[in-house]
Amino acid sequence: MKPLRLIVHRLRALFRKENLDAEMSEEMQAHLDLLTVDYQKRGLSAAEARSAARRAFGGVEQIKERARDQRGWMWLDHLARDVRHGWRMIAKAPLISAVIVVSLGIGVGVNVTIFSWISSLVFRPLPGIANVTRFHLIEPKTEAGNYPGASWLEYRDLRERLHSFDWLLAYKMLPLNLGELGQEERVYSQLVSGNYFSVLGLRPTLGRFFREDEAVQPGGAPVIVISHSFWQSHLAGAPDVIGRRLRLNDQQLTVIGVAPEGFLGTTTGLTFDLWAPATMAPVLLNGSRELETREARGYSLLGTLRAGVTTAQARGELVGAMREFAANYPSSNVGFSAELLPFWRAPRGAARLLLGALAALQSFLLLVLLVVCVNAANLLLARATVRRRELGVRLALGARPWQLLRLVLIESALLGAMASALGTLLAVWGTTALRVVSLPGGFPFKFQTDLDVVGLAFAAALGVGSAIVFGLAPALHAARTDSQLVLRTSVTAAARRGARSPLVAVEVALALFVLVVAAMFLRSFLETRTADTGFKPEGVLLAAYDLSNSGYDKATGIAMMDELLRRLRATPGIEAAAVASWVPLDFHSMPLGAFKLDGRARSDGGQDRAITYNVTPGYLDLMRIPLVAGRDFDALADKAHGPQAIVNEEFAKKFFEGRSPLGHRIEGFNASFEIVGVARNALYETFGEAPKPIMYFSLRDRFALIEQIHIRTNGAESALAPNLRRIVREINPVFALFDVRTLTEHVDKNLFFRKIPARIFAGLGPLILLLAAIGIYAMVAYSVAQRTMEIGVRLALGASTRRVVLQIVRESMRIVWFGLLPAWLVSVVAVLIRAKTDVLNAVILVGTPAILVCVAWLAAWLPARRAAKVDPMVALRAE
Amino acid sequence: MPKDEAAELLQGTLDLLILKALQHEPMHGFGISLRIRQMSDEVLQVEQGSLYPALYRLEERGWIKAEWGVSENNRRARFYELTAAGRKQLDTETAEWRRVSAAINLVLKGV
Repeated sequence: MKPLRLIVHRLRALFRKENLDAEMSEEMQAHLDLLTVDYQKRGLSAAEARSAARRAFGGVEQIKERARDQRGWMWLDHLARDVRHGWRMIAKAPLISAVIVVSLGIGVGVNVTIFSWISSLVFRPLPGIANVTRFHLIEPKTEAGNYPGASWLEYRDLRERLHSFDWLLAYKMLPLNLGELGQEERVYSQLVSGNYFSVLGLRPTLGRFFREDEAVQPGGAPVIVISHSFWQSHLAGAPDVIGRRLRLNDQQLTVIGVAPEGFLGTTTGLTFDLWAPATMAPVLLNGSRELETREARGYSLLGTLRAGVTTAQARGELVGAMREFAANYPSSNVGFSAELLPFWRAPRGAARLLLGALAALQSFLLLVLLVVCVNAANLLLARATVRRRELGVRLALGARPWQLLRLVLIESALLGAMASALGTLLAVWGTTALRVVSLPGGFPFKFQTDLDVVGLAFAAALGVGSAIVFGLAPALHAARTDSQLVLRTSVTAAARRGARSPLVAVEVALALFVLVVAAMFLRSFLETRTADTGFKPEGVLLAAYDLSNSGYDKATGIAMMDELLRRLRATPGIEAAAVASWVPLDFHSMPLGAFKLDGRARSDGGQDRAITYNVTPGYLDLMRIPLVAGRDFDALADKAHGPQAIVNEEFAKKFFEGRSPLGHRIEGFNASFEIVGVARNALYETFGEAPKPIMYFSLRDRFALIEQIHIRTNGAESALAPNLRRIVREINPVFALFDVRTLTEHVDKNLFFRKIPARIFAGLGPLILLLAAIGIYAMVAYSVAQRTMEIGVRLALGASTRRVVLQIVRESMRIVWFGLLPAWLVSVVAVLIRAKTDVLNAVILVGTPAILVCVAWLAAWLPARRAAKVDPMVALRAE
Repeated sequence: MPKDEAAELLQGTLDLLILKALQHEPMHGFGISLRIRQMSDEVLQVEQGSLYPALYRLEERGWIKAEWGVSENNRRARFYELTAAGRKQLDTETAEWRRVSAAINLVLKGV
């Protein structure tokens, strides 16, 4: 048998169906006639012979059907027929179908949006670079579990020493000031090794990339590569941009190339505008010694494995190398190891921050989708009772149960497909909307979500999966239809409701669970917004500055700062002014510093660490952080007292066990600081964090030139900005001021990532409630429709409308309680375990089921009331 | 329907019988079933329900081919005829049947 011939034959059978059908009829008719003649020959009359022949032949249509099955790919034909039928059934119940498709579509849509966000973080962490999985991140790691990055010298050593890697490149983020005096703009660059672009496998849109020799001599090659979007936004996409000079941090650097479109740098979630060779560091950061000291860390390393080398081998070699460094360079490397990490676990960048939150959100949304599916199953089952007569007739005509099952499943599949399509559209809109959102306040963060093949596959899978979940119940119900029972009239209510009640109970249970989770989450979000931060953000304006190259040394710098603060405080409207090295509740974590107390080393050889925070005297007062003991720092100009420190309550508790730390000394950072005060605890890194120990140092003792100005006013903070700029110019015309924002905005930024899920929950909560209501309404409406005659009889026998209605409602509510109570118990237990027990949680735990019960009661009452209003005579004649 | 299952079991055998029936001359469906009845001494009565599907199957595989002709009572009927491949298949299947039935007989004869 030749397969080709078989295929041709079957295709022909499919397309010439009618023709072949006619032929088959004729052939069988001929056979019948011959049989008739045969019987006549045996002595039967013409009429008898005909009927005998018919009987002997068998059911013509059945035989034709089986012959047709044999003929070709008839299953395809049957499928087409079933699909058409399914479509007709969907169109006949437009409201139910619309509710199912829309609710499923929303469920699929939100799930796919979050999923594509997750998948782009994991699978395409670096846009513009092909095949990211071949790269491995090498991150040095301290004993305490921090990832401070590598130093330039360490990178160079590793490049020589590690043979498991083909190529090793290094990069580090560096914010720069771009532009002429008085019009500086903050741009974000990456300092990179010479082989950066070539190892990544990129081609320049214009010009060229760095040569190896351009990253050897410190300050040797003042060249930069700009990003495609920077080229468009700042240089108008001019074709002659190569060779142009840009003023960065007061240095002139030449543009030698434009990176390809879509390439944003090698840190997940951040967009960079330009790249400079790492050897330009001492030029761009005046006096930086990062190319020479091993203590200056911050570089991330990327490598490609040599062919045939496994990650385990590479890891082993890496750890061995780090151990060597620890022995050879104890001051910078003691206790350091290193790890090989995939991109989505990169310690610097937003990936880590997001993935945990996103995963939790995704689980919740899948639960929501489940609720929607159960609701759809409920609706379809309700409608199935209406169709039972049609199914009964089909059965009587010779359909087999699995054929009925297939019929109903195809209908569910169609609904699922439509929901998938709608969900995909919603996801496209969602991901596009997310991409447009940019974070407030100068951090180069961009949402990189994209609906790609993986996302589409997920949408399809969700659609199919949902269809199976909600289609199974009505399909099984259809398959079990007893044709005899169905073709006769009314059957008892209990038997019919059998399949539907557990579904409603399940739906109510899931709905309660979802609502409680949503309420708890919303509560925690609202709480964090109004949580006590430990300081008072309202009324404070912030401005950052960077005077790294402006020729200040420690003495002149402190004098400048003193003058600046004096002038600010003298300005009407400004209540207080201070300078600090960071602002709390920022995206990056606070730096930790190692120290010894009173010169005593720890018994286990480890080091004490606490957050370090450099401020001017008056900072604590400005932030309204009270001092619980001791006093503030001495003035900046004060020369009488030695280096000082202020610690917080947690520090005193942790390192002094309740004794007063005043007068003790902190040794570290090349000096010895006397503790002069204890401040109240505040929030430093995130909302909801446990109290952390912190050491405030005076900027008089630990001076730096990149700081944040804080000014407090009684009125509107933004009104202060022009004054600030004026005063700053008066002090020094070269003063680069940027990132002017209010402290309230800054704190809100930290909440940004919680706002998105909170909004989703706030929107989904009512939707779930509505769906549960629809499910219950449908159940009651259809059940009541079946019992029209029974209701009619009751009304005719004298029962009051009210009694009938109440009885129906009570029966329906029984099912609701059945689902509500177990779910409620589970929620109570869960809340007791995971969250705190207080009045508000109790209110949520009581209020949510109460709302659900009210909604359910209403949803049951409306159709019951409508049914009871029917004239009993009409009801009795209905069947 | 139990009769269906019995027919399924003998599907291969039915093919063989049809091919044999067509060995000497082309025939239509009625004629084939008649022929098989005659050749088997009235023992094997082929049901139309199994006959036509079998005929179409054999036609698909290229062992028989069909043409419209005129039957004994002057009606149009489809006449089936063995092809060259069909003849070869007949020989193969006959040999196979002989081999298998001999083996079964052997088994049944044994203790």
